[in-house]
Amino acid sequence: MKRRTLLLSGLGAAGALLVGFGMLPPRGRLGSANTLALVAGEVGLNGWIKIAADGAVLLAMNRSEMGQGVHTALAQLVAEELGVALARVRLIAAGHESMYGNVAMFLGQLPLDPRSNEPGLETTLARLGTWTVSKLARELGINATGGSSSVADAWGPLRWAAATARQQLLGAASLRWKLPLAELELKDGMVSHPSGPRAHFGELAQEAALTPPGEVLLKPAAEWTLIGRPAPRQDLAAKINGTARFGIDMRPLGLLFAAVRHAPMLGGAPGALPVNATLQQPGVLRVVQLQPFAGGHAAVAVVARTSWHALRAAQAIEIEWQQRPAGKLDSAAIEAALAESARTAAVEGFTFFSQGDADQALAGAAKTVEALYEAPYLAHAAMEPINCTARVAGGAVEVWAPTQVPGLARALAAQVAGVAPEAVTVHVTYLGGGFGRRLDIDFIGQAVRVAMDTDGAPVQLLWSREEDTTHDFYRPAGAAFMRAGLDASGKPLSWTVGSAGDAISPRWMERVLPALAGPIDAPDKTASEGLFDQPYAVPHQRIAHRATRSGVPVGFWRSVGHSHNAFFTESFIDELAQAAGADPLAYRLSLLDDLPRHAAVLKLAADKAGWGQALPQGKARGLALHESFGSIVAQVMEVSLEGGKPRVHRVVCAIDCGVVVNPGIVAQQMEGAVIFGLTAALFGRIDIKAGVVQQRNFPDYQLLGLAQSPAIETHIVPSTNPPSGVGEPGTPPAAPALANALFALTGTRQRKLPLV
Amino acid sequence: MDLKVNGQARTLPEHASDPAMPLLWALRDGLNLTGTKFGCGVAACGACTVHVDGLAVRSCVTPLASVQGKSITTIEALGQPDQPHAAQLAWLAEQVPQCGYCQSGMLMAAGALLAKNRNPSDADIDAAITNLCRCGTYPRVRAAIKRAANTMSLKK
Repeated sequence: MKRRTLLLSGLGAAGALLVGFGMLPPRGRLGSANTLALVAGEVGLNGWIKIAADGAVLLAMNRSEMGQGVHTALAQLVAEELGVALARVRLIAAGHESMYGNVAMFLGQLPLDPRSNEPGLETTLARLGTWTVSKLARELGINATGGSSSVADAWGPLRWAAATARQQLLGAASLRWKLPLAELELKDGMVSHPSGPRAHFGELAQEAALTPPGEVLLKPAAEWTLIGRPAPRQDLAAKINGTARFGIDMRPLGLLFAAVRHAPMLGGAPGALPVNATLQQPGVLRVVQLQPFAGGHAAVAVVARTSWHALRAAQAIEIEWQQRPAGKLDSAAIEAALAESARTAAVEGFTFFSQGDADQALAGAAKTVEALYEAPYLAHAAMEPINCTARVAGGAVEVWAPTQVPGLARALAAQVAGVAPEAVTVHVTYLGGGFGRRLDIDFIGQAVRVAMDTDGAPVQLLWSREEDTTHDFYRPAGAAFMRAGLDASGKPLSWTVGSAGDAISPRWMERVLPALAGPIDAPDKTASEGLFDQPYAVPHQRIAHRATRSGVPVGFWRSVGHSHNAFFTESFIDELAQAAGADPLAYRLSLLDDLPRHAAVLKLAADKAGWGQALPQGKARGLALHESFGSIVAQVMEVSLEGGKPRVHRVVCAIDCGVVVNPGIVAQQMEGAVIFGLTAALFGRIDIKAGVVQQRNFPDYQLLGLAQSPAIETHIVPSTNPPSGVGEPGTPPAAPALANALFALTGTRQRKLPLV
Repeated sequence: MDLKVNGQARTLPEHASDPAMPLLWALRDGLNLTGTKFGCGVAACGACTVHVDGLAVRSCVTPLASVQGKSITTIEALGQPDQPHAAQLAWLAEQVPQCGYCQSGMLMAAGALLAKNRNPSDADIDAAITNLCRCGTYPRVRAAIKRAANTMSLKK
């Protein structure tokens, strides 16, 4: 089945559902004022915004802060429209209503290529797909922080909510003072009139709640004073003095501590449990056997008075582990099979994109280039090890979790404890890194289950670093067989890709949303993203993917399919430039005539990096360009070899992410994403032997350190398009920019990650 | 068991007094000083860095028995609310943290470096800051340490 056929049949099914939705009242995302619980003196104006008695603005925050700056960026949107200082916006936890769900994240799952989905130039099919998925995602109302979607998702609803509240406050002042609204001034949380009357938001809120907003207009860009400014992050004051509370820092009264021990082999299970021996360990209070939750693993939990006692006793358990019934997983065998699959996937796989006749064009080409690219499994390795705190008492469940999906966490907690979802409260803490790992909820089920056995005492469940590294939902290994035919001038006529790898989205759906999981893996867009939507103009293309099921638990990892597919695509276009005898920059630009935004980003990075200017002996540059999550990023890297190992000295990064809300955060995210990408490119690999993950902790799952980190500069292309992703798009270009620089330096093309 | 933490004598609760217990867990689970973080348990990441008699120490592998009578400082007392440490101010000025989880350890390592070296070179910073950060804050950590060194030498 072709992508277009699939998209159309999917739209047909969705269209049938929409007839049903048409009968329901329209669900805007403004929400009603009674959505938010009120504390004395507070007044709710809509589902997002309350006003405190002192005039402070209270914003219902529906996204998890995991380092990406989202708490600051979303507060900026509200502060801008309401005309208050950023510090006057205080955050409260959003509830589980569907208005807080993430629509933009689901839009990112549409398999649209850049030529059908450029802002303002979308094809009819792209518009129809976007409209349909928006409607479906609204109905689903799943609250998730992921897919670099938070600002894109909030851009409309949050500004609208704040602008509506602003008009109500102005309207209330106008009615009270009997003065024309147009003559009122709103500044720093005060409404005033030149003739003298003044009132702050708290003094107007009661009347504002009863005042219709009238005509609501968003502030024009020319009047912005906060959007586009590098406002300081509001969470940092607590992150420099130890007061920021992560999941692991929750300390409800009477807290007990639990540690988890899984079977060492993926998919394995504990055999007969030596409960008595474990209970005799110092500090140990209880032992709880855990079934797999939400696609996780069977395990044993030890409850103790401190985490140390629990971790030590869990580690000491002597137990016969049972191997996975379906057999021992072996990553080397899986990776070899993927490489074989990739060679035939262009013909036998699911076609995500095709145009012209790639085979015929290849046969008539003056020159052909082909190459096999490979990438390994990777772990997330967030600095905060997996943990969750739960209390089950009196028919109610309370969960304190560093999670990217609080609604899914609530549903699972309710199911595990056997209570209604309404009996579960989920407190989202700061996340000590997410990177996609905390889109899974296995550990939340574990914590609730353990808390059911502690007589109402709250329990903090913690995984050791070793458990975290060896029981992750890994970035899947992948392989791609790339083939191109060039004309006599070196331009590509034909471009075919066959790739192979495990589907991620269907596995995740089975784990966290089994009711919505579908039967087919093939069209998982995340598998082919970065391949089927490559930007270079090639008249004949066929890009297909073969979805595999290795049995290794796989999940979303910062930039998902782009994380390896950008390496494949951007290394291969470099190979074509070389085959054509062309400069890598000029060659790319010659194929981007109809994508001016891509060309502009690439040129900006190249200009700032001094592309073409001589470097000292022993240094070379490489570049890469990649679009992901709606944003286009180019990177130029300068490398040398030190003791035979690559050393990256300087990275110049350019990005077009639409309107920029906070350029300081964009720069932070580009720096972090480059280092995340370099860590993977230089060191990242997870090996599985006889079902056991071989890497266990930071000594053998190496991260780039400070001493090895390059200087990184970020340049932003000004834009008036709606905001697109920032958290992930900086990661994909890092590996190919490095590989291309190493090729320029050494003349050797490395096609397998990691590079050393 | 007693500990001298952040200038105060603190008595550890009975259940967190095992001499073999790493200082990290006595701080976190015994005294609820949760600013010091658990990252790896094997002294590889530095998230648990505290000062023991002014030196940066990885508390996840430091048994309680070895710090008896010594002066322990955690992130909670690196500076005071009305008088933050120069590194903390520099951290804000450079907007260093992202998720923030490793930053207590980073700051404690930086504080120990600056206490003995008021003008650290890039090589000095490379050698002293071996803490791991998954968010990739390293370039800003470097800039903030240099900024802090500058402000400290101005004050001298």
